[in-house]
Formats: sequence, structure tokens, C-alpha cells
Amino acid sequence: MTAYFIRRLLLIVPTFIGITILVFVITRFVPGGPIERIIAQARQMQMAGYGSGPAAPGSQTQPLSDEQLRTLKEYYGFDKPVLASYFSWLYKVLQGDLGVSTRYYDPVWDMIKERIPISLYFGILSLVIVYGVCIPLGIAKAVRHKSGFDNVSSALIFIGYAVPGWVVGVFLLVLLASHWEIFPLGGLVSEQFEDFSLWQKIADLAWHTVLPLTSYVLGSFAVMTFLMKNTLMDNLAADYVRTAMAKGLSFRAAVFRHALRNSLIPMATSFGNNISVILSGSFLIEKVFNIDGMGLLGYESVVERDYPVVMGILVISALLFMIGNILSDLCVALVDPRVKFE
Amino acid sequence: MLRLNPLTLKKIRRFRSIRRGYYSLIVLVVMIVLSLGAELLVNKRALVVCYKDRLYFPTYGDMIPGRTFGLDYDYETDYRQLKKIFARRNEGNWVLMPPIPYDPYENDLRKDDFPPFAPSLASRHFLGTDAVGRDIAARLIYGFRIAIFFSLGLLVINYLIGVAVGCAMGYWAGAFDLVFQRLIEIWSNVPFLYVIIIISSIVVPTFWILILIMALFGWMGMTWTMRTMTYKEKARDYVLAAKALGAGDLRIIFRHVIPNTVAVIVTFAPFSISGGIVALTSLDYLGFGLPPPTPSWGELLQQGWANLDAWWISASVVGAMTVTLLTVTFIGEAIREAFDPRMHTIYE
Repeated sequence: MTAYFIRRLLLIVPTFIGITILVFVITRFVPGGPIERIIAQARQMQMAGYGSGPAAPGSQTQPLSDEQLRTLKEYYGFDKPVLASYFSWLYKVLQGDLGVSTRYYDPVWDMIKERIPISLYFGILSLVIVYGVCIPLGIAKAVRHKSGFDNVSSALIFIGYAVPGWVVGVFLLVLLASHWEIFPLGGLVSEQFEDFSLWQKIADLAWHTVLPLTSYVLGSFAVMTFLMKNTLMDNLAADYVRTAMAKGLSFRAAVFRHALRNSLIPMATSFGNNISVILSGSFLIEKVFNIDGMGLLGYESVVERDYPVVMGILVISALLFMIGNILSDLCVALVDPRVKFE
Repeated sequence: MLRLNPLTLKKIRRFRSIRRGYYSLIVLVVMIVLSLGAELLVNKRALVVCYKDRLYFPTYGDMIPGRTFGLDYDYETDYRQLKKIFARRNEGNWVLMPPIPYDPYENDLRKDDFPPFAPSLASRHFLGTDAVGRDIAARLIYGFRIAIFFSLGLLVINYLIGVAVGCAMGYWAGAFDLVFQRLIEIWSNVPFLYVIIIISSIVVPTFWILILIMALFGWMGMTWTMRTMTYKEKARDYVLAAKALGAGDLRIIFRHVIPNTVAVIVTFAPFSISGGIVALTSLDYLGFGLPPPTPSWGELLQQGWANLDAWWISASVVGAMTVTLLTVTFIGEAIREAFDPRMHTIYE
């Protein structure tokens, strides 16, 4: 089994290179890159300088000299062939250098590092809530299958499952933040956050957290609850539980001492995948609530063609995704000794 | 006539016995059929105009100039105005307007106020208007039609590719399987949104271009499932028997393997449809979907988000999405249950 995981870890390398090379090549051949932006800016400045002269609006003259263009291309690494500049990029990444944003001229790693705690905050909180609520709820629903409680909660959960979290987020914003003004309109903290006392800070943060967190939790909530419920019901129907009941164990003891343990296995399966979700966040939710996390950073850098940031986030999210997959398998192997990976 | 085998009939009976899913299917089908005839329900053109004892049906076909009805202009008749004029003159002429007498593209502006206007029965804007004065109900209905046919189209393409590639991967296995596995792994890691944003910044995505782009990233799920299913079926004895009888690869795949995996394909379909609707809405919300002024739920949501005071915009979109996605999900759950009934022991 150790051999299997080592093989899986080694497979990360070619996949990683494949993913990054693909996106790198795409960034190269797409119009609207940093150089074109600088040219456009220069043209704008030229036009502003000449005032609204008759020739200015239609003129397609190159505002930069060839010399300047060459320097720019060299600066952004556009002068070399694609593969050569890819490998020089890869070499830098291996040394821990993700490059510099073409938009803000900040190091990419610093920009990412700033956002990680924010996404991590929401990720961990929603993880705690999802697991903390879904497991007990799933158990309760399985034990009281087809009761009124089960049906009502199923209907509610289904709505949360069918409608994506960010759509619910928009609705919550309109209803609770704008119409009734109970919660803030977005952001993570108030403007006067620095002047608050510790307790006020915590309260302020919590106040800003409620709505986005609800949107985050909604999606995975249904999947987890039903997973818990269905596996527990499968196990309750299994022969070993019947045997346990037949030998005189109470229903309660049979559930908690036998069925529940086995039902937690599938829940563990998805645990590993959470690390990539925790860190990358959902850019749609972050956009709706105007939270400056990893998701929003990635989205904005894609829209603004800030390629070093795009690549930097890709490196991190691809690694996390692949490691998360392996971790999931490892979790399964850990909790279920019957599972064997060849 | 399509002959259904008893097993399929049993599944259909079981599906019908799950009332929540069965009624959801009816509701959804009614919604789709109604949306197909949306021009008859939501239109600025009248359904019927009776002028000088002659009936006109302006809904479909060329526009009818105002002069036809004794008005003094040559451009298209304003039927809402025509209705008022006829009512005032009282000469026995009449106009029958659709329930929502507005076009999804038409800005209904007023002299004394700025849109968005709140819902009102008097102005026949049952769900109000959006930020530029277009009727929300009209845009919701036309948006539904686009969204549902978008996801159906996407589903067909995704499943065609998925079934073909997945079957081939599972059936021929070996190096072919391995290469495609790696390819899928790489491809599924490419940030999907990134490519869409880039493509839509180069070409303005039309309905079919957008479906093709989405299919470029959507075929993998079905492929993976079909691969596993084919592996399973291939190992069964009946395939071996068919092979022993001299059946060729294609015959085995099309006559034996695929019919036996149809259950799985059908089970996944409703969830793919709701996924397609959500994906289109998300893209439209971000502004990278179908170009404006295409009526779309995502664009309305974006407006609702930008105009928080106009609660009726987001409320109607979220309501429409909830109803649609919920019915689709219920259908999916019912199909899954009908195809794979899990009978549980319940302890009293």
C-alpha cells in the first residue's frame, strides 16, 4: 500500500506539468495581455496629451518605440519561445518564486499569502458547521425515517441543495441586509474596525460572517446530510445490526456502537477534498459579498489578465487538489482496514 | 411502436408511484411546453385584433403597420395603445392582449419616474420591471426557455461524447485508457471559468458557441462514469457468451453494453440539467454568458444584486430558480429511486 501512495505522489509531477503547461500556453496566445494593456494606456496618455485633436481618435499609430516594446517583451518574458519561457517560469516556481503581478507589481506570493487567512477562515468555519450539524442531523433523519421531522427537514435541505449558494446569498443580501438592514451589505469587517475593543471586533466579525457563511454551508449541507442518512440506513438494514438487536442490544446501542461507526467511512472519504475547497473558496460567493479572499483574487486576475497571479493560484490549487485526492484515499484506508489499494 | 420490456415498465410504474417526482415531472413538462408558446403569453403584439369585422393575429409573422388599423404611422402597431384607442372610440373594434402585454426586450419608460418599477397589477408588470424598465416576468419566461434548452443541448452533447469515449476507454482499456485518464486529469484541472472568460473576450458567445465551450469541459463526468460501467459490464458472462457466438466489438458495445448502462445514464440526466441551468446563470451573472440583451436569469440576478432596494428583481429570479431547480431535483431523486430501489429495514 505504501508503494501505491508513493506511485500516486509521483504521478503528481507529470499531471502538474501538464496542467501548468496548458494554461501557460493559453495565456500566451490570447489577446489582451500586459503588453497590449500598456500600449493601450500609452495611447490613451498620448491622446490626453494632444487634447481632442482631429487625428487622435482614429489614429492607430504605435505609441511606443520598437526599443521600448523590446524592453517590455523582455521584462514580461515574451521574447522567448513559449516552452523556453515556460521552463524558466517553472524553474523559478521550484525555487519558490511565483513572479510579480503585472497589475500591481507586488510579488504574487505576497498577494496570495494575504488572502489565504480569509479563505481559510470561511473554509474551516463551514467545515466545522457542515460536519458538526450534518452528522447528527443525518443520524436523526435515519432513525426517524419517513416521520414528519424527516420529511420537513428533507424538503428544506432539498431547496438548499437545488439552489446554488451564491444565488441564495444574493437573496439573503436583498432581504436581510438591504430590506430589513439586519446584516451588513458585504465585506469582512466594518470601516472603524481598528478602533474597536476586542469584544467589539469579534462581534463585528461574526456579524459580517453570518450571511456569507450561510451561502458557503448550504451547498455541501444537503450532500453530507443525505450521505450520512443513507449510509446509516444501509447499515441499519445490514445483518450484523439485526444480529446485534436479536441478541438483545437496545436499538440505541445498536446504532451508536455498531451501525454509526461503519457509516462514518463515506464521510471520511470526502474529507481530503476539503483542503482545496477551504483554500480556494468560492469566487461567486466572495464576489456577491465582496470578500477579498482567494476566489475573488483568482477571478479578478483572470478578468484583468494578470497572468503571473493566475499561474500562481493555479499552482497552489492544482497541488492542493491532487494532494487532497490522495489524502481522501489515505483517509479511507485509515478508517476502513478492509480497503486495500494495489 | 416502441416496445418496452417488462423491466422498464416496472421502473416507469415505480417512478409514477413516487408522487413528488411524478408531479414535478408534470410541472416541468407543462412549464417547458408553456415556454415554447411564450409568444402567446408574453408579447407586446396582441393575440387577436378585430378591426372593421376582420380578425388579425399579429403574434407570429410579419409586423403589421399602424396604418392597417387606421392609425397615422407606418411602423409596427403599438397594440397597448391601440387597445386604449379602440376602447375610447367604441366602434366595435377590439384588441385581445396576452396576459403579460410586454416584450422581454422592450423598455417601458415613464415620464415622471425612473425604473425599476415595483410590481403592480394596474400596469400589468406582475413582477415589476428591471433597472432599464423591461418587464421581469417576460424576461423570466424567455430566460427559462433559453436556460432549459441550453441545458438540454449541453446534456445531449456531453452525453454523446461521454458515452462514446467512456465506452471506448472501458472496452479497449490498455494504453488508450491510460492516455485518456491522464488527459482527463489534466483537463479537469484547467480552470474552466478561465478559458470561458478568455474565449468570450475574443468572440461574442452565441447560444451554440457557449454550449460547445461548456461541453469542452463537461464531457468528463459522463466519460468517467461510462468507463467504470463498461469495465463492469465487460467482465460479465453475457459479454463473453456474445463474444463466443462470434459477435464483433461494435455489436457487443451497441447491443449489449450500452443498453445495460442506460439506467445509469438516465439517472444522471436530471442532475446534469440542473447543473447546466446553474452554470449558465452563473456565467450570465458574471457577464460572460450570452450577450445582452438576451433575457437571462443570471443577468437579472446581477441587476438584483446591483439594485438592492428593488427587492422584486432578486426575489422573482430566486423564486423562479427555486421552483425550476427543485422540480428537476425531485425528478432526479425519483428516477434514482425508481431505478435502484433501496428497501430499508425499519425498526419500530
